[in-house]
Amino acid sequence: MSESILETKSLSKAFGGLVALDRVDLAIEAGTIAAIIGPNGAGKTTLFNLITGVYPASDGEILFQGTPLKDTPSHKRAALGIARTFQNVLLFGNMTVLENIMTGQHPRSSYGFLGAALRLPKAQREEETINLNAMKYLNMVGLGTYAQQNALSLPLGQQKLLAIARALATEPQLLLLDEPGAGLNKLEKQELSDLIRRIREIGISVILVEHDMPLVMGLAEWVIVLDSGQKIAEGTAAQIQKDPRVISAYLGEEVE
Amino acid sequence: MARVKSKWTYLIITVLVAFLILIPFDWFLGQYTLLMTLIGIHTMLTVGLCLLLGYTGQVSLGQAVFYGTGAYISAVLSKTYGVNPWLAMLIAAAATGAFAYVIGYPIFRLRGNYLAVATLALGVIVYILFMQLGPGGPDGMAGIPYLSIGGFVFDNSFKRYFLVWFFCLAVLLISQNIVRSRTGRALRAIHGSEAASESIGVNVDQFKVKIFVLSAIYASLAGSLFAHSMAHISPSTFDPLASVVIVVMAVIGGLASIWGAIFGAATIIILKNELLLGFGEWDIVIYGLILMLVMIFMPEGLFVRLRDIFDRWRLRYAQIGAEP
Repeated sequence: MSESILETKSLSKAFGGLVALDRVDLAIEAGTIAAIIGPNGAGKTTLFNLITGVYPASDGEILFQGTPLKDTPSHKRAALGIARTFQNVLLFGNMTVLENIMTGQHPRSSYGFLGAALRLPKAQREEETINLNAMKYLNMVGLGTYAQQNALSLPLGQQKLLAIARALATEPQLLLLDEPGAGLNKLEKQELSDLIRRIREIGISVILVEHDMPLVMGLAEWVIVLDSGQKIAEGTAAQIQKDPRVISAYLGEEVE
Repeated sequence: MARVKSKWTYLIITVLVAFLILIPFDWFLGQYTLLMTLIGIHTMLTVGLCLLLGYTGQVSLGQAVFYGTGAYISAVLSKTYGVNPWLAMLIAAAATGAFAYVIGYPIFRLRGNYLAVATLALGVIVYILFMQLGPGGPDGMAGIPYLSIGGFVFDNSFKRYFLVWFFCLAVLLISQNIVRSRTGRALRAIHGSEAASESIGVNVDQFKVKIFVLSAIYASLAGSLFAHSMAHISPSTFDPLASVVIVVMAVIGGLASIWGAIFGAATIIILKNELLLGFGEWDIVIYGLILMLVMIFMPEGLFVRLRDIFDRWRLRYAQIGAEP
């Protein structure tokens, strides 16, 4: 078995009395596309928020490439190589498409206020790299012609691609996609699938939370099913589709 | 809309610079030298707030605090303790920056309206401290030494005009460089979405405090220049209302516009010192009205609106010219 990019051990999260995530154990192999599915309120987004450090876990631990994350703040996890997108996209509306992606290069550059204020040679060198890399990711998601447009002037489908490009620009090892397919039409979903496969090909592990079953089943090599904060099943797409507990969780009835 | 760059931009800059250089000469607009010096000082205050409020989206209704500490530290060190005014100015900037850093971390745990109220409270507290504990109390200090380079003393308004505008343009240039950099993008990202900023590795808390410190240092420099230029300071210059006026200047100039700061500062200073002289203390009503009208009808700022209209006109002109 190859090395895990991400592991969780008995990971739990309670908001007051509500247990959003209950002792979840995960092991995601490096280089795979994994999917987390489950009904609304199953704890999928909570899991993403714990992995990216939006809030601390109530119990359990998260290991990224074998190293425990513990109290590592969100922005440092991005620097370590965990990137994400959001269900509600959250692009920077006060910037152009290209600037959004350039901002994603933040953890891969280092010059600060002084370098910026005086336009020191280091700053200029890094800006050139940032620009080149941003163009690379812009073209990778196929938004090359929209570089100078305001980010929010794009239709939703392209905004979602832009959010992925911004996350890619942080040069992650692990990319978390929160409902990338929601609100997309059939053609856009096809393009999204192709893009996610290309992302994996350049060596980035992908975990997606998604409701669209055909999209998940066509894409994911490993599927994890959450229900009411607990992991109720995991396996390949084919195994999951036959699992009685999964069918019961989705349809809300006992299966003989 | 992306800004249009062309020979026009350079032409405008050249004309503006020439204008700025010629203003203090008696055969041109010499009688407005002092007024222009005040505009320069307020531009520095405004541009700091533009970075903080316009680009980073963090409200401060207490910029006059740092304006005041800069002025008072400079004045006390140079007059009472005989420190060289340049050194006094440097120490004032460092001390004010450190002060902003120390209060920055607790204050930026607050957001939006709470942040506004906290900074306003800071302004009130520090103003009372100036009144009660500042040398001279409400009357302030007089006889603050002028700045000088070797034997060259900035002892008249003509010389001080160039001194202030040298600093002002330096601050504007530095600010523009920051805005167009990795740092500037991080600041704008925070304005756009704090959650998304953190997710791409931006240390949100730290950037907020850093830009707060920078705006405080700008304000401190403005305060020192004010003290060493006017030779006299009193607490009323740094009262909470002064902070509000800085906000109005920033809004008129366009919050997310560096060069608009000159326009915003100029509009209010000219109104205050020339056009609204007959209004006495009622001038604040006019500023309030301007603030409301600009926020309702052109939230991007008067300056930015005029600039966009000009850009559009220029584009159309260029297209007509390009037709066969």
